[in-house]
Amino acid sequence: MNDKIRKLTETEWEIPKGFVEGMRVPGRFFLSETLAASIEDGALTQLGNVACLPGILKNSLGMPDIHWGYGFPIGGVAAFDETEGVISPGGVGFDINCGVRMITTPLTEKDLTDKPGLISELYDAVPVGVGAKSPVRLSQKDLTSLMEEGSSYAVELGYGMKSDIEHCEENGRLEGADISAVSDKARKRGIPQCGTPGSGNDFLELQKAAKIFDAETAKVYGVEEGQICVMIHCGSRGLGHQVCTDHLKVLEEAADRYGIALPDRQLACAPLASKEGEAYFGGMAAAANYAWANRQFITHIVRKIFEKRFGIAYEEMPLVYDVAHNVAKHEEHITDGIRRKVCVHRKGATRAFAPGSPEVPAAYRAAGQPVIIPGSMGTPSYLLAGTVAAMERTFGSTCHGAGRLKSRSGAKKMQTGEEVAASLLEQGIVVKAPNAAAIAEESPAVYKPSSEVVKCVADAGLSRIICRMKPLGVIKG
Amino acid sequence: MPFEELEHTADVKMRITASGFSGLLSESGFALSQVTYGTYPREAPSLSVGIEAEGKTREELCVNFLSELLVIMETEYLVPVAFSLTVSAGPEEIQTGAAENRGKLTVSGTVSGVEFEREKHAGGIGVKGISYSGLTLRRVETGCELIIIFDI
Repeated sequence: MNDKIRKLTETEWEIPKGFVEGMRVPGRFFLSETLAASIEDGALTQLGNVACLPGILKNSLGMPDIHWGYGFPIGGVAAFDETEGVISPGGVGFDINCGVRMITTPLTEKDLTDKPGLISELYDAVPVGVGAKSPVRLSQKDLTSLMEEGSSYAVELGYGMKSDIEHCEENGRLEGADISAVSDKARKRGIPQCGTPGSGNDFLELQKAAKIFDAETAKVYGVEEGQICVMIHCGSRGLGHQVCTDHLKVLEEAADRYGIALPDRQLACAPLASKEGEAYFGGMAAAANYAWANRQFITHIVRKIFEKRFGIAYEEMPLVYDVAHNVAKHEEHITDGIRRKVCVHRKGATRAFAPGSPEVPAAYRAAGQPVIIPGSMGTPSYLLAGTVAAMERTFGSTCHGAGRLKSRSGAKKMQTGEEVAASLLEQGIVVKAPNAAAIAEESPAVYKPSSEVVKCVADAGLSRIICRMKPLGVIKG
Repeated sequence: MPFEELEHTADVKMRITASGFSGLLSESGFALSQVTYGTYPREAPSLSVGIEAEGKTREELCVNFLSELLVIMETEYLVPVAFSLTVSAGPEEIQTGAAENRGKLTVSGTVSGVEFEREKHAGGIGVKGISYSGLTLRRVETGCELIIIFDI
């Protein structure tokens, strides 16, 4: 660890002002001693760079899955004053509203008599990865409506249940979507892909609720030990990537125009109240809504397969929750003892609101917001709950996943895809992907252990562990 | 090989070389194809699409050209086989830091290729965007070299 970094507690570290010239606030990050050994200098510099942006409040924050990203580190959180602050695509990422959702089923592992057959059927029905074309046919009008309405438009088209909507962060719809801020190129990329996960770390996973840590909260969330669940991880596909690319060009010039000194070109930004900042927010919100609809379409396809294959009712597969990982949002938080509106950027981080927060669905409000943390193909995923400490220390945020440790090229040198798949099969995990390299690149060995990351957020008080899910089958793009 | 993958934790970092700048753009296009499709086919093209990009610097031109190519590959389901490109203004060789690298630069031409087929071309990984992170463009003994990160 760099000797300028101060250890504050067993899980919290501080990057002092001056670590990067121009820092307006200190940086803070959350890592156990074990995880601290793997942090990259580049990620620390990025946390320092973010702390230089105008209007940043309290701290530039890093979650335990922190690693080097574009502009912000992955696992980065920063809140900006609505008047003095900025908005930056580097604080959201190319995959706007990359996120994860989890549905439960009434099945247990003994019902899965043909797991490879089920995974193959899901793989055929949900096109994944490069060149994937969705089975959902959307008109331009549909695309406009779903960018405005998000999940609820997908449900209106018949792809889900009304209860799905209230079990999404923001009810699956970010207000302020501006369709005029979405280019024709973005629309063209988006139309054939809505209803498909992408490649890389996107996935569709069959899981078992292996261990309940908090029975009362698990009951509130509708999760029982032994239950089969499905997790879906993907985002706004080419539409969101294009929105990011288009607005980055505009915001780079805008930063110059507004006299914002950027420590790194990737932190291109504009004042929140500027026309460029508002346009980016509008385009980003439209892409975020597309992403919620995307996950909704996939959920529907999965439910239809389970309905037919296992003879269970569609309604018996409720959505536990859906969270965004890459997004900037207007929220209210208390800083310096004052409740104020701020724009929170979460880049590879998850909202984790405390019990009692009005944004948490009524049925879950007393328990706190569900937080879903995917593991890797061979390590468990977790269901957590938001806490008061997260509200106080991280603008209601926690980690988003395991966090990568090793490169894709390095991963392929360690093991072939066939070897990774065989090793997973020995553990009872069936994997299917368009190519072996995709499996090798996403090998569990290249990720931090999800249990360590989750333990760290729990020890830091940023979330409570509710349930651990074991992977049984994985579809990778 | 005119391009190779370098170590990068989360994304794909490529080193691309060519004797001149327009060749560098073509090779960077093939590198993008290699990452996305796991291949760049050596066969007769059946599709051809116009491509244009501009930038205030050669670095920006590289990013904008590859961003345009990404859109074409994704929306036309095109796997590149050949590029025919004309770069306006500036010498072919890279003059790092020199005035020739600045001002409005454009590239225009066509990208030819074959239609994406899942059985043949699903060996890669989807690229989300072209990053300025760690981007370097410089003159080397054999011509020019671009180091660029594809966001995965």
